[in-house]
Amino acid sequence: MAKPVRMNLKEAVAQIPDGAMLTFSGFTIWRRPMAAVYEMIRQGKKNLHLVEVNGGTHSDLLIGAGCVKIWESCWIGHELFGKIGANLARRAEAGEVIIEDYSHVQILYRMAAGSMGLPYLPTYASMGTDMLNPAYDHLKIAGLRDGSNPKIPKKKYEIVSDPFYGGELLHMPAANPDWCIAHVQMVGEEGTVRVDGQLYSDSEAIKASDNVIIVAEQVVSEDYIRREPTRNLIAGHQVSCIVEQPWGAHPTGCFGCYETDGTFIQNFFKSTRTQEGLDAWVKEWIHDIPDYETYLERIGITRLEQLRANPAFGYSTTIKRGTR
Amino acid sequence: MSRDTTLAKVGEFKPIDLLAVAAAREVTDGDVVFAGTGLPMLAIGLAQLTTAPTAVCIYEAGSVDGRPISLPTSVGDARCIYQASVASGLFDVFNQLQRGVVDLAFLGGAEVDKYGNVNTTGMGKYGIVPEKRLTGSGGNSDINGLARKTVFIMVQEKRRFREKVDFVTSPGWRVPKWPSGEMVPKKEVYNKAFRGGPEAVISNMGVFRFDENGEMYLDTYHPGCTPQQILENCSFDLNISRVRGETKAPTLGELDLLYKTIDPEGIFLP
Repeated sequence: MAKPVRMNLKEAVAQIPDGAMLTFSGFTIWRRPMAAVYEMIRQGKKNLHLVEVNGGTHSDLLIGAGCVKIWESCWIGHELFGKIGANLARRAEAGEVIIEDYSHVQILYRMAAGSMGLPYLPTYASMGTDMLNPAYDHLKIAGLRDGSNPKIPKKKYEIVSDPFYGGELLHMPAANPDWCIAHVQMVGEEGTVRVDGQLYSDSEAIKASDNVIIVAEQVVSEDYIRREPTRNLIAGHQVSCIVEQPWGAHPTGCFGCYETDGTFIQNFFKSTRTQEGLDAWVKEWIHDIPDYETYLERIGITRLEQLRANPAFGYSTTIKRGTR
Repeated sequence: MSRDTTLAKVGEFKPIDLLAVAAAREVTDGDVVFAGTGLPMLAIGLAQLTTAPTAVCIYEAGSVDGRPISLPTSVGDARCIYQASVASGLFDVFNQLQRGVVDLAFLGGAEVDKYGNVNTTGMGKYGIVPEKRLTGSGGNSDINGLARKTVFIMVQEKRRFREKVDFVTSPGWRVPKWPSGEMVPKKEVYNKAFRGGPEAVISNMGVFRFDENGEMYLDTYHPGCTPQQILENCSFDLNISRVRGETKAPTLGELDLLYKTIDPEGIFLP
Protein backbone atom coordinates (compact mmCIF):
# COMPACT_ATOMS: atom_id res chain seq x y z
CA MET A 1 0.00 0.00 0.00
CA ALA A 2 1.14 3.50 -0.78
CA LYS A 3 1.82 6.16 1.80
CA PRO A 4 -1.45 7.53 3.22
CA VAL A 5 -2.74 10.78 1.79
CA ARG A 6 -3.29 13.85 3.97
CA MET A 7 -6.80 15.25 3.40
CA ASN A 8 -9.32 17.52 4.96
CA LEU A 9 -12.43 16.04 6.54
CA LYS A 10 -14.75 16.80 3.62
CA GLU A 11 -12.40 15.15 1.10
CA ALA A 12 -11.87 12.11 3.27
CA VAL A 13 -15.57 11.51 3.84
CA ALA A 14 -16.38 12.16 0.15
CA GLN A 15 -14.50 8.94 -0.70
CA ILE A 16 -17.13 6.77 1.04
CA PRO A 17 -19.78 5.69 -1.46
CA ASP A 18 -23.44 5.16 -0.66
CA GLY A 19 -24.09 1.57 0.36
CA ALA A 20 -20.58 1.09 1.80
CA MET A 21 -19.95 -1.26 4.71
CA LEU A 22 -18.56 0.87 7.51
CA THR A 23 -17.04 0.47 10.96
CA PHE A 24 -15.58 2.83 13.60
CA SER A 25 -13.08 3.28 16.41
CA GLY A 26 -14.08 3.65 20.04
CA PHE A 27 -16.49 2.22 22.55
CA THR A 28 -20.10 3.43 23.15
CA ILE A 29 -19.53 7.13 24.02
CA TRP A 30 -15.74 7.16 23.84
CA ARG A 31 -13.45 8.14 20.93
CA ARG A 32 -16.06 8.05 18.17
CA PRO A 33 -15.29 9.88 14.89
CA MET A 34 -18.10 12.39 15.41
CA ALA A 35 -16.74 15.12 13.10
CA ALA A 36 -16.72 12.57 10.26
CA VAL A 37 -20.22 11.38 11.20
CA TYR A 38 -21.54 14.96 11.02
CA GLU A 39 -19.85 15.35 7.64
CA MET A 40 -21.38 12.10 6.33
CA ILE A 41 -24.81 13.44 7.23
CA ARG A 42 -23.98 16.80 5.64
CA GLN A 43 -22.97 14.98 2.44
CA GLY A 44 -26.21 12.97 2.51
CA LYS A 45 -24.81 9.41 2.56
CA LYS A 46 -27.41 6.70 1.97
CA ASN A 47 -27.89 2.97 2.56
CA LEU A 48 -24.77 2.57 4.70
CA HIS A 49 -24.20 -0.90 6.15
CA LEU A 50 -22.77 -0.54 9.65
CA VAL A 51 -20.87 -3.47 11.14
CA GLU A 52 -19.55 -2.37 14.50
CA VAL A 53 -18.40 -4.10 17.66
CA ASN A 54 -20.74 -1.82 19.61
CA GLY A 55 -22.84 1.24 18.81
CA GLY A 56 -23.24 4.58 20.49
CA THR A 57 -24.12 8.22 19.94
CA HIS A 58 -22.41 8.26 16.53
CA SER A 59 -24.38 5.36 15.05
CA ASP A 60 -27.70 6.35 16.63
CA LEU A 61 -27.31 9.79 15.00
CA LEU A 62 -26.32 8.35 11.59
CA ILE A 63 -29.30 5.99 11.73
CA GLY A 64 -31.69 8.75 12.82
CA ALA A 65 -30.50 10.95 9.95
CA GLY A 66 -31.52 8.28 7.43
CA CYS A 67 -28.00 7.32 6.28
CA VAL A 68 -28.17 3.64 7.32
CA LYS A 69 -29.92 0.56 5.89
CA ILE A 70 -28.35 -2.27 7.94
CA TRP A 71 -26.91 -2.27 11.49
CA GLU A 72 -24.99 -5.38 12.56
CA SER A 73 -23.79 -5.11 16.14
CA CYS A 74 -24.55 -6.04 19.73
CA TRP A 75 -25.50 -2.89 21.66
CA ILE A 76 -26.53 0.71 21.19
CA GLY A 77 -27.18 3.47 23.70
CA HIS A 78 -25.52 6.45 25.37
CA GLU A 79 -24.51 4.83 28.69
CA LEU A 80 -25.51 7.06 31.63
CA PHE A 81 -26.74 9.79 29.27
CA GLY A 82 -29.45 7.91 27.36
CA LYS A 83 -30.54 4.36 28.10
CA ILE A 84 -31.29 3.18 24.55
CA GLY A 85 -30.47 4.11 20.98
CA ALA A 86 -33.85 5.71 20.42
CA ASN A 87 -33.23 6.52 16.76
CA LEU A 88 -32.32 2.92 15.94
CA ALA A 89 -35.33 1.72 17.92
CA ARG A 90 -37.72 4.05 16.09
CA ARG A 91 -36.36 3.24 12.63
CA ALA A 92 -36.24 -0.52 13.28
CA GLU A 93 -39.79 -0.53 14.69
CA ALA A 94 -40.89 1.26 11.49
CA GLY A 95 -39.16 -1.37 9.32
CA GLU A 96 -36.71 1.22 7.93
CA VAL A 97 -33.48 -0.32 9.24
CA ILE A 98 -32.53 -3.99 9.49
CA ILE A 99 -30.88 -5.06 12.75
CA GLU A 100 -28.70 -8.17 12.89
CA ASP A 101 -28.02 -9.09 16.54
CA TYR A 102 -24.84 -10.61 17.92
CA SER A 103 -23.22 -10.79 21.31
CA HIS A 104 -20.21 -8.59 22.01
CA VAL A 105 -17.75 -11.45 21.58
CA GLN A 106 -19.49 -12.81 18.49
CA ILE A 107 -19.27 -9.50 16.61
CA LEU A 108 -15.75 -8.87 17.99
CA TYR A 109 -14.62 -12.24 16.67
CA ARG A 110 -16.14 -11.44 13.27
CA MET A 111 -13.93 -8.34 13.17
CA ALA A 112 -10.91 -10.17 14.60
CA ALA A 113 -11.21 -12.92 11.95
CA GLY A 114 -11.36 -10.19 9.30
CA SER A 115 -8.25 -8.56 10.74
CA MET A 116 -6.35 -11.87 10.60
CA GLY A 117 -7.27 -12.69 7.03
CA LEU A 118 -9.21 -15.75 8.23
CA PRO A 119 -12.69 -16.71 7.00
CA TYR A 120 -14.01 -17.35 10.54
CA LEU A 121 -13.09 -17.80 14.18
CA PRO A 122 -14.41 -20.37 16.68
CA THR A 123 -15.91 -19.32 20.01
CA TYR A 124 -18.06 -20.57 22.88
CA ALA A 125 -19.55 -17.11 23.38
CA SER A 126 -23.31 -16.75 23.85
CA MET A 127 -24.39 -20.19 22.76
CA GLY A 128 -27.88 -21.04 23.99
CA THR A 129 -29.29 -17.58 23.24
CA ASP A 130 -31.76 -16.09 20.79
CA MET A 131 -28.94 -14.37 18.87
CA LEU A 132 -28.68 -17.83 17.25
CA ASN A 133 -32.43 -18.25 16.72
CA PRO A 134 -32.97 -18.74 12.96
CA ALA A 135 -36.20 -16.73 13.26
CA TYR A 136 -34.09 -13.68 14.04
CA ASP A 137 -31.55 -14.10 11.22
CA HIS A 138 -32.85 -10.88 9.71
CA LEU A 139 -30.40 -10.62 6.81
CA LYS A 140 -31.48 -14.08 5.66
CA ILE A 141 -35.16 -13.20 6.06
CA ALA A 142 -34.52 -10.04 3.99
CA GLY A 143 -32.97 -12.25 1.25
CA LEU A 144 -29.51 -10.75 1.71
CA ARG A 145 -27.64 -14.00 2.38
CA ASP A 146 -27.92 -15.14 -1.25
CA GLY A 147 -24.23 -14.54 -2.04
CA SER A 148 -24.85 -11.48 -4.23
CA ASN A 149 -23.11 -9.18 -1.74
CA PRO A 150 -19.60 -10.54 -1.07
CA LYS A 151 -19.52 -8.66 2.26
CA ILE A 152 -22.53 -10.60 3.62
CA PRO A 153 -21.78 -14.24 4.53
CA LYS A 154 -24.22 -16.91 3.37
CA LYS A 155 -24.76 -18.00 6.98
CA LYS A 156 -24.94 -15.94 10.16
CA TYR A 157 -22.99 -18.59 12.10
CA GLU A 158 -22.39 -22.33 12.15
CA ILE A 159 -22.37 -24.73 15.10
CA VAL A 160 -19.54 -27.17 14.45
CA SER A 161 -17.85 -30.12 16.13
CA ASP A 162 -14.45 -29.46 17.62
CA PRO A 163 -12.31 -31.76 15.43
CA PHE A 164 -9.44 -31.88 17.94
CA TYR A 165 -10.77 -32.15 21.48
CA GLY A 166 -14.47 -32.96 21.06
CA GLY A 167 -17.58 -30.99 21.83
CA GLU A 168 -19.32 -28.27 19.86
CA LEU A 169 -18.81 -24.58 19.40
CA LEU A 170 -19.63 -21.66 17.13
CA HIS A 171 -17.88 -20.46 14.02
CA MET A 172 -18.39 -16.76 13.37
CA PRO A 173 -17.74 -15.53 9.81
CA ALA A 174 -15.17 -12.78 9.21
CA ALA A 175 -16.23 -9.19 8.62
CA ASN A 176 -14.16 -7.02 6.30
CA PRO A 177 -15.76 -3.57 6.17
CA ASP A 178 -15.10 -1.38 3.12
CA TRP A 179 -14.15 1.52 5.37
CA CYS A 180 -13.09 2.14 8.94
CA ILE A 181 -13.17 5.67 10.32
CA ALA A 182 -11.08 5.91 13.46
CA HIS A 183 -10.61 8.87 15.75
CA VAL A 184 -7.28 8.69 17.60
CA GLN A 185 -5.07 10.96 19.67
CA MET A 186 -2.09 11.07 17.31
CA VAL A 187 -0.93 10.07 13.85
CA GLY A 188 2.43 10.56 12.11
CA GLU A 189 2.71 12.19 8.69
CA GLU A 190 3.28 8.73 7.18
CA GLY A 191 0.29 7.25 8.95
CA THR A 192 1.73 5.66 12.10
CA VAL A 193 -1.17 5.57 14.56
CA ARG A 194 -0.89 6.09 18.33
CA VAL A 195 -3.84 5.38 20.63
CA ASP A 196 -3.74 6.25 24.34
CA GLY A 197 -5.89 4.70 27.06
CA GLN A 198 -8.08 1.67 26.56
CA LEU A 199 -7.71 0.38 23.00
CA TYR A 200 -11.33 -0.88 22.77
CA SER A 201 -11.56 -2.85 19.47
CA ASP A 202 -9.68 -0.32 17.33
CA SER A 203 -6.93 -2.67 16.21
CA GLU A 204 -9.41 -5.29 14.97
CA ALA A 205 -11.68 -2.69 13.27
CA ILE A 206 -8.80 -0.93 11.50
CA LYS A 207 -6.99 -4.08 10.37
CA ALA A 208 -10.20 -5.76 9.17
CA SER A 209 -11.18 -2.86 6.91
CA ASP A 210 -10.21 -2.43 3.25
CA ASN A 211 -9.80 1.35 3.58
CA VAL A 212 -8.96 3.32 6.71
CA ILE A 213 -9.54 7.01 7.47
CA ILE A 214 -7.59 8.15 10.53
CA VAL A 215 -8.91 11.34 12.10
CA ALA A 216 -6.43 12.52 14.72
CA GLU A 217 -6.34 15.18 17.39
CA GLN A 218 -2.82 15.91 16.15
CA VAL A 219 -0.73 15.05 13.10
CA VAL A 220 2.94 14.94 14.09
CA SER A 221 6.21 14.23 12.30
CA GLU A 222 7.07 10.57 11.75
CA ASP A 223 10.40 11.21 13.46
CA TYR A 224 8.57 12.20 16.64
CA ILE A 225 6.07 9.31 16.70
CA ARG A 226 8.80 6.73 15.90
CA ARG A 227 10.90 7.69 18.92
CA GLU A 228 8.62 5.43 21.02
CA PRO A 229 7.37 2.68 18.68
CA THR A 230 6.09 0.57 21.58
CA ARG A 231 3.35 3.16 22.11
CA ASN A 232 2.07 2.86 18.51
CA LEU A 233 -0.82 0.64 17.41
CA ILE A 234 -0.96 0.65 13.59
CA ALA A 235 1.68 1.13 10.88
CA GLY A 236 1.07 3.58 8.03
CA HIS A 237 0.81 0.87 5.37
CA GLN A 238 -2.58 -0.13 6.86
CA VAL A 239 -3.90 3.45 6.66
CA SER A 240 -5.44 5.06 3.54
CA CYS A 241 -5.67 8.71 4.54
CA ILE A 242 -5.13 10.96 7.52
CA VAL A 243 -7.07 13.99 8.71
CA GLU A 244 -6.23 16.40 11.52
CA GLN A 245 -9.32 17.41 13.49
CA PRO A 246 -8.83 18.62 17.05
CA TRP A 247 -11.83 17.89 19.32
CA GLY A 248 -13.12 15.69 16.47
CA ALA A 249 -14.69 13.12 18.79
CA HIS A 250 -16.92 15.62 20.66
CA PRO A 251 -19.40 14.98 22.29
CA THR A 252 -17.79 11.57 22.92
CA GLY A 253 -14.64 11.53 25.06
CA CYS A 254 -11.01 11.03 24.11
CA PHE A 255 -8.60 9.67 26.73
CA GLY A 256 -5.94 12.16 27.73
CA CYS A 257 -7.55 14.91 25.64
CA TYR A 258 -11.12 15.51 26.79
CA GLU A 259 -14.09 14.18 28.71
CA THR A 260 -17.35 12.85 27.26
CA ASP A 261 -19.76 15.82 27.08
CA GLY A 262 -22.57 14.12 29.02
CA THR A 263 -24.85 17.14 29.06
CA PHE A 264 -24.64 17.47 25.27
CA ILE A 265 -25.38 13.75 24.76
CA GLN A 266 -28.24 13.85 27.28
CA ASN A 267 -29.79 16.77 25.38
CA PHE A 268 -29.34 14.89 22.10
CA PHE A 269 -31.06 11.84 23.60
CA LYS A 270 -33.97 13.81 25.05
CA SER A 271 -34.60 15.95 21.96
CA THR A 272 -34.31 13.20 19.31
CA ARG A 273 -36.81 10.62 20.57
CA THR A 274 -39.08 11.59 17.64
CA GLN A 275 -38.14 11.94 13.96
CA GLU A 276 -39.22 15.61 14.05
CA GLY A 277 -36.93 16.18 17.01
CA LEU A 278 -34.05 14.43 15.28
CA ASP A 279 -34.59 16.40 12.06
CA ALA A 280 -34.55 19.69 14.00
CA TRP A 281 -31.37 18.63 15.83
CA VAL A 282 -29.63 17.69 12.56
CA LYS A 283 -30.64 21.03 11.01
CA GLU A 284 -29.36 23.00 14.00
CA TRP A 285 -26.07 21.15 14.57
CA ILE A 286 -25.18 19.93 11.07
CA HIS A 287 -26.97 21.45 8.08
CA ASP A 288 -27.05 25.04 9.40
CA ILE A 289 -23.31 24.80 10.10
CA PRO A 290 -20.80 24.72 7.21
CA ASP A 291 -18.00 22.83 8.97
CA TYR A 292 -16.64 21.43 12.22
CA GLU A 293 -14.78 24.63 13.13
CA THR A 294 -18.10 26.47 13.26
CA TYR A 295 -19.53 23.62 15.35
CA LEU A 296 -16.71 24.00 17.88
CA GLU A 297 -17.27 27.78 17.99
CA ARG A 298 -20.89 27.07 18.85
CA ILE A 299 -19.90 24.65 21.66
CA GLY A 300 -17.66 27.46 22.92
CA ILE A 301 -14.21 27.71 24.44
CA THR A 302 -15.55 27.77 28.01
CA ARG A 303 -17.28 24.43 27.65
CA LEU A 304 -14.37 22.87 25.80
CA GLU A 305 -11.97 23.97 28.55
CA GLN A 306 -14.21 22.31 31.16
CA LEU A 307 -14.00 19.09 29.17
CA ARG A 308 -10.23 19.22 28.68
CA ALA A 309 -8.35 16.38 30.39
CA ASN A 310 -5.92 16.94 33.20
CA PRO A 311 -2.65 15.32 32.04
CA ALA A 312 -2.03 13.76 35.46
CA PHE A 313 -5.17 11.63 35.13
CA GLY A 314 -6.22 11.56 31.48
CA TYR A 315 -9.65 12.99 32.33
CA SER A 316 -11.16 16.32 33.39
CA THR A 317 -11.03 17.15 37.08
CA THR A 318 -13.09 20.32 36.79
CA ILE A 319 -16.31 19.15 35.12
CA LYS A 320 -19.45 18.69 37.22
CA ARG A 321 -20.66 15.11 36.74
CA GLY A 322 -23.19 14.26 39.46
CA THR A 323 -25.64 15.95 41.79
CA ARG A 324 -23.14 16.82 44.54
CA MET B 1 -9.72 1.41 60.06
CA SER B 2 -12.77 0.54 62.11
CA ARG B 3 -16.12 1.24 60.56
CA ASP B 4 -19.54 1.66 62.06
CA THR B 5 -21.16 -1.79 61.84
CA THR B 6 -24.54 -0.59 63.14
CA LEU B 7 -27.29 -1.74 60.75
CA ALA B 8 -29.22 1.10 59.12
CA LYS B 9 -32.96 1.10 59.81
CA VAL B 10 -35.68 1.18 57.17
CA GLY B 11 -35.90 4.80 56.06
CA GLU B 12 -32.21 5.44 56.72
CA PHE B 13 -31.18 3.96 53.37
CA LYS B 14 -32.54 3.93 49.82
CA PRO B 15 -33.35 0.77 47.84
CA ILE B 16 -30.38 1.49 45.55
CA ASP B 17 -28.03 1.51 48.58
CA LEU B 18 -29.14 -1.96 49.57
CA LEU B 19 -28.71 -3.20 45.99
CA ALA B 20 -25.09 -2.01 45.97
CA VAL B 21 -24.38 -3.44 49.42
CA ALA B 22 -26.05 -6.81 48.75
CA ALA B 23 -24.13 -7.11 45.47
CA ALA B 24 -20.83 -6.24 47.18
CA ARG B 25 -21.42 -9.06 49.66
CA GLU B 26 -21.40 -11.57 46.79
CA VAL B 27 -17.70 -10.90 46.15
CA THR B 28 -15.19 -13.31 47.71
CA ASP B 29 -11.75 -11.91 48.43
CA GLY B 30 -9.41 -12.73 45.56
CA ASP B 31 -12.17 -13.01 42.95
CA VAL B 32 -11.56 -11.79 39.41
CA VAL B 33 -14.70 -9.73 38.80
CA PHE B 34 -16.12 -8.53 35.49
CA ALA B 35 -18.23 -5.43 36.14
CA GLY B 36 -20.48 -3.32 33.95
CA THR B 37 -21.55 0.31 34.16
CA GLY B 38 -23.52 1.70 37.12
CA LEU B 39 -24.41 -0.27 40.25
CA PRO B 40 -21.79 -2.97 39.55
CA MET B 41 -19.11 -0.26 39.83
CA LEU B 42 -20.42 0.72 43.27
CA ALA B 43 -20.59 -2.93 44.33
CA ILE B 44 -17.03 -3.86 43.33
CA GLY B 45 -15.72 -0.61 44.79
CA LEU B 46 -17.43 -1.31 48.12
CA ALA B 47 -16.28 -4.93 48.18
CA GLN B 48 -12.66 -3.88 47.58
CA LEU B 49 -12.87 -1.38 50.45
CA THR B 50 -14.41 -3.88 52.88
CA THR B 51 -14.38 -7.67 52.57
CA ALA B 52 -12.53 -8.28 49.30
CA PRO B 53 -9.45 -6.03 49.19
CA THR B 54 -7.58 -8.29 46.76
CA ALA B 55 -10.46 -8.74 44.29
CA VAL B 56 -9.46 -7.81 40.73
CA CYS B 57 -11.86 -5.77 38.60
CA ILE B 58 -11.97 -6.10 34.82
CA TYR B 59 -14.01 -3.72 32.64
CA GLU B 60 -14.94 -5.01 29.21
CA ALA B 61 -13.62 -1.99 27.28
CA GLY B 62 -10.11 -3.14 28.17
CA SER B 63 -9.21 -2.18 31.73
CA VAL B 64 -7.57 -4.69 34.06
CA ASP B 65 -7.31 -4.15 37.82
CA GLY B 66 -7.62 -0.37 37.80
CA ARG B 67 -7.59 1.55 41.07
CA PRO B 68 -9.72 4.56 40.14
CA ILE B 69 -9.83 7.48 42.54
CA SER B 70 -12.75 9.02 40.64
CA LEU B 71 -15.83 6.92 39.82
CA PRO B 72 -16.11 6.01 36.12
CA THR B 73 -19.49 6.70 34.50
CA SER B 74 -19.05 3.88 31.99
CA VAL B 75 -16.58 1.09 31.30
CA GLY B 76 -14.98 3.05 28.45
CA ASP B 77 -14.26 5.97 30.80
CA ALA B 78 -10.69 7.29 31.06
CA ARG B 79 -11.03 6.87 34.86
CA CYS B 80 -11.16 3.05 34.58
CA ILE B 81 -7.45 2.65 33.90
CA TYR B 82 -6.10 4.93 36.63
CA GLN B 83 -3.38 2.80 38.28
CA ALA B 84 -4.50 -0.23 36.23
CA SER B 85 -2.07 -3.09 35.74
CA VAL B 86 -2.94 -3.32 32.03
CA ALA B 87 -4.90 -1.13 29.63
CA SER B 88 -5.79 -3.27 26.65
CA GLY B 89 -8.93 -3.83 24.66
CA LEU B 90 -11.96 -6.06 24.23
CA PHE B 91 -10.02 -8.83 22.54
CA ASP B 92 -7.75 -9.24 25.57
CA VAL B 93 -10.37 -9.12 28.31
CA PHE B 94 -13.01 -11.21 26.54
CA ASN B 95 -10.35 -13.81 25.75
CA GLN B 96 -9.54 -13.91 29.48
CA LEU B 97 -13.25 -14.54 30.08
CA GLN B 98 -13.33 -17.34 27.51
CA ARG B 99 -10.11 -18.77 29.01
CA GLY B 100 -11.95 -19.21 32.32
CA VAL B 101 -10.28 -16.49 34.36
CA VAL B 102 -13.42 -14.71 35.54
CA ASP B 103 -14.90 -15.82 38.89
CA LEU B 104 -17.80 -13.41 39.23
CA ALA B 105 -19.67 -10.89 37.10
CA PHE B 106 -22.31 -8.29 37.82
CA LEU B 107 -24.96 -7.82 35.15
CA GLY B 108 -28.36 -6.20 34.62
CA GLY B 109 -31.42 -6.76 32.45
CA ALA B 110 -34.92 -5.67 31.55
CA GLU B 111 -36.62 -9.03 32.31
CA VAL B 112 -35.69 -12.41 33.73
CA ASP B 113 -37.32 -15.86 33.79
CA LYS B 114 -37.18 -18.52 36.51
CA TYR B 115 -34.09 -20.14 34.96
CA GLY B 116 -32.17 -16.86 34.97
CA ASN B 117 -32.51 -16.21 31.23
CA VAL B 118 -32.35 -12.45 30.78
CA ASN B 119 -33.64 -10.18 28.03
CA THR B 120 -31.99 -6.90 27.08
CA THR B 121 -32.87 -7.00 23.36
CA GLY B 122 -36.56 -6.29 22.82
CA MET B 123 -39.96 -6.35 24.52
CA GLY B 124 -43.02 -7.84 22.87
CA LYS B 125 -42.79 -9.65 19.56
CA TYR B 126 -39.24 -9.66 18.20
CA GLY B 127 -38.32 -9.99 14.54
CA ILE B 128 -37.14 -8.07 11.51
CA VAL B 129 -39.62 -5.36 12.57
CA PRO B 130 -39.41 -5.47 16.39
CA GLU B 131 -42.24 -4.29 18.62
CA LYS B 132 -40.01 -2.49 21.13
CA ARG B 133 -36.27 -2.45 20.69
CA LEU B 134 -33.94 -2.20 23.71
CA THR B 135 -30.13 -1.87 23.79
CA GLY B 136 -29.12 -5.39 22.75
CA SER B 137 -26.84 -7.87 24.49
CA GLY B 138 -23.52 -6.08 24.79
CA GLY B 139 -21.25 -8.39 26.77
CA ASN B 140 -24.06 -9.53 29.08
CA SER B 141 -24.66 -12.82 27.28
CA ASP B 142 -20.97 -13.66 26.83
CA ILE B 143 -20.20 -12.97 30.47
CA ASN B 144 -23.24 -14.85 31.78
CA GLY B 145 -22.28 -17.76 29.55
CA LEU B 146 -18.62 -18.03 30.52
CA ALA B 147 -18.04 -16.65 34.04
CA ARG B 148 -18.18 -19.05 37.01
CA LYS B 149 -20.84 -17.04 38.82
CA THR B 150 -22.99 -14.11 37.77
CA VAL B 151 -25.15 -11.79 39.85
CA PHE B 152 -27.99 -9.85 38.25
CA ILE B 153 -29.22 -6.54 39.61
CA MET B 154 -32.81 -5.91 38.49
CA VAL B 155 -35.95 -3.90 39.13
CA GLN B 156 -38.70 -6.06 40.67
CA GLU B 157 -41.98 -5.79 38.73
CA LYS B 158 -44.53 -8.40 37.66
CA ARG B 159 -43.81 -7.69 33.99
CA ARG B 160 -40.06 -8.11 34.53
CA PHE B 161 -40.07 -11.45 36.45
CA ARG B 162 -41.67 -13.64 33.78
CA GLU B 163 -42.44 -17.27 33.01
CA LYS B 164 -40.77 -16.79 29.63
CA VAL B 165 -38.76 -13.78 28.46
CA ASP B 166 -39.53 -12.31 25.03
CA PHE B 167 -35.93 -12.80 23.85
CA VAL B 168 -33.23 -14.95 25.49
CA THR B 169 -30.35 -12.48 25.34
CA SER B 170 -28.34 -13.91 28.21
CA PRO B 171 -28.22 -17.64 28.97
CA GLY B 172 -29.51 -18.92 32.34
CA TRP B 173 -29.62 -22.49 33.66
CA ARG B 174 -31.99 -23.84 30.94
CA VAL B 175 -31.41 -22.42 27.48
CA PRO B 176 -32.52 -22.93 23.87
CA LYS B 177 -30.31 -25.37 21.94
CA TRP B 178 -30.20 -24.37 18.27
CA PRO B 179 -31.17 -25.16 15.57
CA SER B 180 -34.22 -26.83 17.22
CA GLY B 181 -34.64 -24.32 20.05
CA GLU B 182 -35.45 -27.05 22.55
CA MET B 183 -34.90 -25.86 26.14
CA VAL B 184 -32.09 -27.93 27.68
CA PRO B 185 -29.76 -27.59 30.67
CA LYS B 186 -27.03 -25.04 29.92
CA LYS B 187 -24.34 -27.69 30.39
CA GLU B 188 -25.58 -29.56 27.32
CA VAL B 189 -24.95 -26.52 25.14
CA TYR B 190 -21.67 -25.31 26.63
CA ASN B 191 -19.92 -28.70 26.92
CA LYS B 192 -16.36 -28.19 28.13
CA ALA B 193 -16.83 -24.45 28.44
CA PHE B 194 -19.54 -24.88 31.07
CA ARG B 195 -18.40 -23.28 34.31
CA GLY B 196 -21.56 -22.19 36.11
CA GLY B 197 -24.14 -19.48 35.65
CA PRO B 198 -26.45 -17.12 37.52
CA GLU B 199 -25.73 -17.31 41.25
CA ALA B 200 -28.15 -14.66 42.43
CA VAL B 201 -30.66 -12.08 41.28
CA ILE B 202 -30.81 -9.04 43.52
CA SER B 203 -33.89 -6.86 43.11
CA ASN B 204 -35.14 -3.85 45.02
CA MET B 205 -37.31 -6.32 47.04
CA GLY B 206 -35.22 -9.41 47.66
CA VAL B 207 -32.31 -11.71 46.88
CA PHE B 208 -33.08 -14.77 44.75
CA ARG B 209 -30.92 -17.84 44.14
CA PHE B 210 -31.20 -20.97 42.00
CA ASP B 211 -31.83 -24.55 43.15
CA GLU B 212 -30.42 -27.90 41.97
CA ASN B 213 -32.73 -27.79 38.92
CA GLY B 214 -31.68 -24.25 38.00
CA GLU B 215 -34.99 -22.77 39.19
CA MET B 216 -35.16 -19.49 41.04
CA TYR B 217 -36.19 -19.32 44.70
CA LEU B 218 -36.46 -16.50 47.19
CA ASP B 219 -33.45 -16.49 49.51
CA THR B 220 -34.00 -13.30 51.53
CA TYR B 221 -36.45 -10.39 51.42
CA HIS B 222 -35.30 -6.84 51.96
CA PRO B 223 -36.17 -4.97 55.17
CA GLY B 224 -39.62 -3.43 54.71
CA CYS B 225 -40.74 -6.07 52.15
CA THR B 226 -42.58 -9.38 52.66
CA PRO B 227 -42.41 -12.64 50.68
CA GLN B 228 -46.10 -12.08 49.84
CA GLN B 229 -45.34 -8.69 48.26
CA ILE B 230 -42.56 -10.31 46.25
CA LEU B 231 -44.94 -13.03 45.00
CA GLU B 232 -47.31 -10.27 43.88
CA ASN B 233 -44.48 -8.72 41.86
CA CYS B 234 -43.49 -11.93 40.09
CA SER B 235 -45.47 -13.53 37.26
CA PHE B 236 -44.10 -17.06 37.58
CA ASP B 237 -44.67 -19.55 40.36
CA LEU B 238 -41.81 -18.47 42.65
CA ASN B 239 -40.60 -20.88 45.31
CA ILE B 240 -40.58 -19.08 48.67
CA SER B 241 -40.30 -22.22 50.81
CA ARG B 242 -36.52 -21.88 51.24
CA VAL B 243 -36.52 -18.27 52.37
CA ARG B 244 -33.94 -17.65 55.11
CA GLY B 245 -35.33 -14.36 56.40
CA GLU B 246 -34.54 -10.72 55.93
CA THR B 247 -31.67 -9.39 53.81
CA LYS B 248 -29.03 -7.85 56.04
CA ALA B 249 -29.43 -4.08 55.88
CA PRO B 250 -26.50 -1.84 54.95
CA THR B 251 -24.30 -0.84 57.86
CA LEU B 252 -23.75 2.83 58.57
CA GLY B 253 -20.09 2.27 57.68
CA GLU B 254 -21.01 0.85 54.27
CA LEU B 255 -23.34 3.78 53.56
CA ASP B 256 -20.60 6.18 54.54
CA LEU B 257 -18.17 4.54 52.10
CA LEU B 258 -20.74 4.57 49.28
CA TYR B 259 -21.65 8.24 49.63
CA LYS B 260 -18.37 9.77 50.79
CA THR B 261 -15.64 7.64 49.21
CA ILE B 262 -17.02 5.76 46.20
CA ASP B 263 -19.59 8.16 44.73
CA PRO B 264 -18.98 11.51 46.43
CA GLU B 265 -20.08 13.37 43.30
CA GLY B 266 -23.55 11.76 43.33
CA ILE B 267 -23.34 10.10 39.90
CA PHE B 268 -25.16 6.83 40.56
CA LEU B 269 -26.23 7.74 44.12
CA PRO B 270 -27.88 11.14 43.67
